Amino acid sequence: MRSVMKKIMTAMRGGVNELGEAVVDNQSTRIFEQEIRDADNELRNARRELAGLMAEAASLARQIGNAEAEISRRENDAQKALAAGQEDLAREVAERIVETERQHVDLSHARQRLQVRIEQLKARVQQAEKQLAEYKRELQVVKTNERVLRTTAQIDTSMNSNRSSLSGAKETLERIRERQQREEDRQNAHVQLDKELSGADLDEKLKAAGIDGSKQAVDDVLARLKGAGSGSN
Amino acid sequence: MDTQSLTLSLSEAVYAGRQFDVMPVAGEEPVLQITVSGATETPVYLTVTETQILCLVYLFDEKEIQAARLPELHESMLRISVPMPLSALGKVGEHYVVYGALSPTSSESDIMQELVTLADNAIDLLETFEDVLA
Repeated sequence: MRSVMKKIMTAMRGGVNELGEAVVDNQSTRIFEQEIRDADNELRNARRELAGLMAEAASLARQIGNAEAEISRRENDAQKALAAGQEDLAREVAERIVETERQHVDLSHARQRLQVRIEQLKARVQQAEKQLAEYKRELQVVKTNERVLRTTAQIDTSMNSNRSSLSGAKETLERIRERQQREEDRQNAHVQLDKELSGADLDEKLKAAGIDGSKQAVDDVLARLKGAGSGSN
Repeated sequence: MDTQSLTLSLSEAVYAGRQFDVMPVAGEEPVLQITVSGATETPVYLTVTETQILCLVYLFDEKEIQAARLPELHESMLRISVPMPLSALGKVGEHYVVYGALSPTSSESDIMQELVTLADNAIDLLETFEDVLA
């Protein structure tokens, strides 16, 4: 299942792109999905184990701290006993110190071993997370690829059964131009209608015939002014 | 977002003065054929998967292209694909397509914008590549 994308590309270049020739068949897709679910579960378990180990390490660290405190306290006691000339008591305390030091060594070793396991498990968890994310992405590519193939096959079937939508790019372009022409015609008709309704088209016709309404008006005004001027004389 | 609720909402909707005519495509997969007013010649096909809403328009088939000009067409398609808004060019089987993929959580108006843009882009592309048609 590695490098699904490459597999798909190779298959497509080879012309394997038909339905029923799925690049990655359904059976292996299902197996792959199951593997991803298993890996997901394993990863969850590993994370839980890691959390347990880390808690254990924290507990060991605490015990080591306690042992160290105990040793320094007993060393203090032993010194006091020696100062007081209590050689036997000091020996008894020293024995206790030796015992605690041995415990300290054991705990430290255990902690070191645990730390190594924690580091190993952390690395494994990280690796698994990375791998799982990759598998999931690849599965998505496979599933989307198949989905697109099934979808287009379905569209093709539907187009073939519907003769009116079965047309090449040239016919489509023709229909686009027809629509654009219709839209233009409609637009022109609108402009024409607007002109008619506003009387603008009539003005245009009169102008074309040499009858300019606005020029006439100016002449009329001038004539009126002239008439008024002569009347005052 | 699924195809059923999209069918319902698109049938009633108007986006940027455009209306949508939605028709399911018969078959097992939930596929819609969506015709956008003002660009009815280039219907958009839409399907919803786990990870995306895929919208695509068929442009032409390989056999409709002058064989000698295929490399030129491919070069132009690759170059035009990047600046073209909300659309990319691709090939499925023998079909050259212009498509857009949206997140399944996209809003209705995101989807409508995609549909309008795709249908309009498809017309522009057909006009652009007309001279390489056989």
